[in-house]
Amino acid sequence: MTTLAPPLRPPTSVRAVQVRWRSGLALAATSVLGVAAFLWPLFIGHGAGIDGHEADAPFIVAGLLALLLATVLAELADGGIDARALAMLGVLASAGSLLRLLDPRIALTEGMVFFLLAPAGRALGRGFGFLLGALTLFASALLTVGVGPWLPFQMLGAGWFAFGAGCLPQRVHGRAEVLMLAVYAVAASEIYGILLDFSFWPFRIGTTTPQLDYVPGGSVATNLHHFWAFHSATGVGWDLLRGFGTFVLVIAAGRPVLAALRRASRHAGFEEAP
Amino acid sequence: MIRLDAVTVTLPGRAEPVLRNIDLHVPEGELCLVVGRTGTGKTTLLRCVSAHMPHITGGVLAGHVSVGGRDTRDHPPRELADLVGVVGQDAVATFVTDRVEDELAYAMESLGVAPDTMRRRVEETLDLLGLADVRDRALLSLSAGQQQRVAIGAVLTAHPRVLVLDEPTSALDPPAAEEVLAVLTRLVHDLGLTVLMAEHRLERVVQYADRVAHLDEDGRITAGDPATVLEHASVAPPVVSLARIAGWSPPPLSVRDARRIAGPLRERLATSPAVTRTPSAFGDVLAHVRRASVVRDDVTALRDVELTVRRGEVVALMGRNGAGKSTLLETLAGLLTPTRGSVTVAGATPHKLTSRNLVRTVGLVPQEPGDLLYAATVAAECATADTETGLDAGATAAALDRLLPGLLTTRADVHPRDLSEGQRLALALAVVLAGRPPLVLLDEPTRGLDYPAKARLAQWLDELAADGHGIVLATHDVELAAECAHRTVVLADGEVVADGPSREIVTASPAFAPQVAKILAPGPWLTVADVEAALEAAS
Amino acid sequence: MKVREVHPAAWWLWSLGLALLASRTTNMLLVALILAMTTFVALSCRRPSPWSSAYLVFVKIGIAAVVLRVTLTALAGAPIGTHVLVTLPQAHLPHVFAGTRIGGPITAEELALSAEEGVRLLAMLACVGVANVVTTPSRLVKSMPAALYEAGLAVTVAVSIAPQTVAQLRRVRAARRLRGRPTRGLAGVRGLGVPVLEGALASSLALAAAMDSRGYGRRVPVRRGRRVIASTAALGGIVVVGAGTYGITGGGPRWFGWPLLSAGAVLLVTGLLLGGARSPRTRYRADRWDVRASALAALGVLAVIATTASDGDPLLTPGDPLAVPNLPWLPAAAVLVAALAAFLDPAPRRAKPTADPPVGSAPLRAAA
Repeated sequence: MTTLAPPLRPPTSVRAVQVRWRSGLALAATSVLGVAAFLWPLFIGHGAGIDGHEADAPFIVAGLLALLLATVLAELADGGIDARALAMLGVLASAGSLLRLLDPRIALTEGMVFFLLAPAGRALGRGFGFLLGALTLFASALLTVGVGPWLPFQMLGAGWFAFGAGCLPQRVHGRAEVLMLAVYAVAASEIYGILLDFSFWPFRIGTTTPQLDYVPGGSVATNLHHFWAFHSATGVGWDLLRGFGTFVLVIAAGRPVLAALRRASRHAGFEEAP
Repeated sequence: MIRLDAVTVTLPGRAEPVLRNIDLHVPEGELCLVVGRTGTGKTTLLRCVSAHMPHITGGVLAGHVSVGGRDTRDHPPRELADLVGVVGQDAVATFVTDRVEDELAYAMESLGVAPDTMRRRVEETLDLLGLADVRDRALLSLSAGQQQRVAIGAVLTAHPRVLVLDEPTSALDPPAAEEVLAVLTRLVHDLGLTVLMAEHRLERVVQYADRVAHLDEDGRITAGDPATVLEHASVAPPVVSLARIAGWSPPPLSVRDARRIAGPLRERLATSPAVTRTPSAFGDVLAHVRRASVVRDDVTALRDVELTVRRGEVVALMGRNGAGKSTLLETLAGLLTPTRGSVTVAGATPHKLTSRNLVRTVGLVPQEPGDLLYAATVAAECATADTETGLDAGATAAALDRLLPGLLTTRADVHPRDLSEGQRLALALAVVLAGRPPLVLLDEPTRGLDYPAKARLAQWLDELAADGHGIVLATHDVELAAECAHRTVVLADGEVVADGPSREIVTASPAFAPQVAKILAPGPWLTVADVEAALEAAS
Repeated sequence: MKVREVHPAAWWLWSLGLALLASRTTNMLLVALILAMTTFVALSCRRPSPWSSAYLVFVKIGIAAVVLRVTLTALAGAPIGTHVLVTLPQAHLPHVFAGTRIGGPITAEELALSAEEGVRLLAMLACVGVANVVTTPSRLVKSMPAALYEAGLAVTVAVSIAPQTVAQLRRVRAARRLRGRPTRGLAGVRGLGVPVLEGALASSLALAAAMDSRGYGRRVPVRRGRRVIASTAALGGIVVVGAGTYGITGGGPRWFGWPLLSAGAVLLVTGLLLGGARSPRTRYRADRWDVRASALAALGVLAVIATTASDGDPLLTPGDPLAVPNLPWLPAAAVLVAALAAFLDPAPRRAKPTADPPVGSAPLRAAA
């Protein structure tokens, strides 16, 4: 009888996709600009250069964000993805977009994307996580023909989500690890929901619901207030349901999913020996 | 062209090497066949040549492998892409794109071939492989034989000089296998490609081989002239087994050669009494399919099918890929609900049974046996199966030991997905057969199994039938059908086109006739065991 | 002889140009014209794919947005105008919710205005919807610049194997039933999801081996200069865009923002075009930018020009007082001309009734 299979401890370092200094720099700078892209309506004062372009601004922001995102993806991928990581990216992105496709009406299945992204980011590393998050949303947009100005925002948000899961402390394992992941997934998917709502909100410049609409040039406090009212009127119930779904799924299936991902990662030789 | 010098290979996580001190030389323009028992390292040997071992699979390789003068130690698979083409058993798993033309062009795109050259080579390859009329089609809409030809074409466009094929025909029905083999012989003869191929179904390929390399259980190799190597090999196609009992040496390799020297044997057999393996009477009707039609993905997969299975009867379902064999099995197993008509198994309607009761009535080993397995190790899988089906502890393990002796002692802690194709199938068979359900359904139960394991399976099915179980097997393996089926049902396009005693059905059509029947025609013998029994009776 | 499809980027330019026009107008007549035009183009150009009916999905989402907006206005809108239709009981929400008023009088002007603002979104969605149904996803990925090769390939793989993953899900569900395991509920999800994931990961290794053997990941030496220029352009572009953003949000002088943003965008595009040279990859039957593509893109640009030229009153209709708006002739002409797209890239005629089932449509539909 040979020895038992080694216990599944988190490895010390996973290098499915390495974040080198150049791609790291691009990612960091784009992320800062990404925050601005999500939140720009808050920071525009009267008399700013955007005057007269309020209605075009969402398009311009989406276009620039798409370019920035493309640059980051190119930098991360440049020579750094071997066939195994690439095939795994494709396969997991496919699984993720199918989870999203199962039934987009049910908030629970919307949570399923995050349910896959969180363990994937943790088990395969943050560089891989960022690529996976962004590409999953892209693939699912192609599968459901949902390409549009909202796509760069979704891709960036999902990329951050999985990147963040890859940054959680490595030493935690066992039950605590699953709990940590579940809490992270809920918190991060709430933030994702709010940010996505924010990116869409400026399209609502109007006059009929002044307490809910974006006021170009309004003060940060006013706009935050309006946004909060808008968000609570339209998105909060959805977000809470999705958060709950994500939590239950990660608690229920986080362990076997992590184990499966780690087994695959060991097979593909992504891990460095502890 | 291919040279292995003192190669010893140890797979990751295993202490014992799977290949020991292998020397093999395949000159340019030869077709070399790798044979051996289940799990002896045929796939590993091929991976050494394609440089997947150790660059992709991991593990330790000692010695030297060189292909066309390039040492695989310094050349990962991508650096051999213009020299070695690799084709696997499951074509769909290797597809990168979703259209025929794009798939053919993929390798050239990554090698940086100029666009007009690409266009020319794609056209040439489409013609060479007879794929021109499906060039715009989605890969998943093709037949299995076409998919395998696309997989071959996809590596051919890079103009390799060596082809490495791992069981390229084992998932195909006999006509599709013929298509693929015809293409391969053409490549060897017209283009002078060197081919290294592993295959379990020797009867299909052995007559095309210039050289056979036999791997034994200890991981050692014997290579040489096909007839010489196969005469004493641990695996042999029926024609060679027949030669062994008839005392022909060197053994013939094709039906044609065998027929030319089989005259005396036919005369000896003519005097012996005909063997009847068919029991005089079967029990009552166990399963009944009444005028059932099944529509699946908008396609009518079964049309007005009528089938009865009695207790004690072994029924073989044969027919092309996509003829509806798997659909019929799944309907019997309660996975599909017939659109029209009805199904009863042991007095119940299978698709209405709860899954708990279903297990006690029907056992199905699906086409992908791995789907049935979900424990983390082989030992755990056996233990789970015992508790699930309410068996005594160790029953499944005993069943596995019966099919593949020794597997459980050497690989108990391995994840089922890391087993070889044949080993995984044996485990799934053990899980189902140990529960001894009244109706046993097997979908392609011989993929990746060697001849001895197949014989053990056939023996076991005979015993189950004798105990009053009903057995239905869907298979392309005419030898297995000849060996253990009492009745054969041929499906085509979702309809039953023939139903009768195996002996009559399989001898009536050359596509379904086993080798022994072809050699001894018009005699009634189907298998080597039949002939053996007849000779004993005569003497 | 088959006619080549027009470059997908041209379709996207066309569609975004019109979406921009749509986003700037609340004129119901113009919006109706845009909707009629997009429906015509979508119907005459959509490709035979499982998603060719997706245009309708876009329109449905747009209608839902209009309904949501009108409902919100009715419940919590500010009273505009004088034509009160009905008066609801009124309540004030706590201050946390921005002191939103609920109920109160509902006026015709208020509803008309919110509907106008809503249909603008509907029109934008319809424009984007057209681009989605007339281009094939794999061609969009194929025409990405070389620097995005790896990312694009991962997406290609994801889209191509999706039907297989669905098929596998079905098989695992069947296998669980065969072994007497539950297939529903949380235990069912776990029991299905994990084997499907494991299967997918295992197949990814087989796919990786196949890709490697077919030359994926080969490298060719690239002149150092080109790499340096590419990465400088990429990183520089990010920085310049950052500066430009600071500019337009009011950080610097007014002239400072837009030129910088444009320069940054140019740098980023340069970086993407020059990057990825380390891979020797070439393209099989790449989409060519031909006259039709230029014409299609020109139609999109025309829409933008028409928008800018007629900026202001004609596009925006006052909700108060209620009146039937006039049709602004310049944008209307641009929209009508844009319908020419239907003749530039018409859908292939159905010579043979689709013998070829669309890529894995059945399993995908089964999953949905």
